[in-house]
Amino acid sequence: MTRLLVLALALALAGAAQARGDAAAGKEKAAQVCAACHGPTGAKPTAPENPILAGQHYDYLVRALRDYKSGKRSSAVMKGFSASLSRQDIEDLAAWFASQESGLHYQR
Amino acid sequence: MLARTLLVVALAAVGGAASAQKPAAQSAHDKVSMCIGCHGIPGYKTAYPEVYHVPKIGGQNPMYIANALKAYRTGERWHPSMRGIAASLSDKDIEDIAAYYGGAK
Repeated sequence: MTRLLVLALALALAGAAQARGDAAAGKEKAAQVCAACHGPTGAKPTAPENPILAGQHYDYLVRALRDYKSGKRSSAVMKGFSASLSRQDIEDLAAWFASQESGLHYQR
Repeated sequence: MLARTLLVVALAAVGGAASAQKPAAQSAHDKVSMCIGCHGIPGYKTAYPEVYHVPKIGGQNPMYIANALKAYRTGERWHPSMRGIAASLSDKDIEDIAAYYGGAK
């Protein structure tokens, strides 16, 4: 019984850790909303002040978009874009950018 | 006496030149000790106030890193740990750290 509970808990945690967004849907949305500033895959922003998104953590990207949308993180530009995004859009976009390649990496 | 004075002046000049010429990314290496505990550990997650992976900053655009640190310093961008750390940084520190991480390959 205990073993079953442990297994169920482990499965639940593994599921929670995985990206829930749909990267294919995120790709389409990104082309409309994000690409002009961050580049289509998020690897090559069009201005030096814009962050590289490709290869960034899924949960960090979700957090950033939610915070922009709520106003907790302030940016006149990102406030505008994030306002039109649903919860699902945010997860899809995060899944798309997190799965793309860039030079982002851990650096000590 | 003159020789000794000249030697002191020469040493001071060399010392000054050496510190002035130290590349920004190199001198930043001394300043990032407070960054690597979170940003240098693969898969590290924040524990407070919300749980998520700390962002990867190696290879990020330097200007974005600098703007982020300045926004944390003023409190415009909110995060308790980052606010505390950024508050201790000068403009020069921020430039150096941005160059260090932004120039990283």
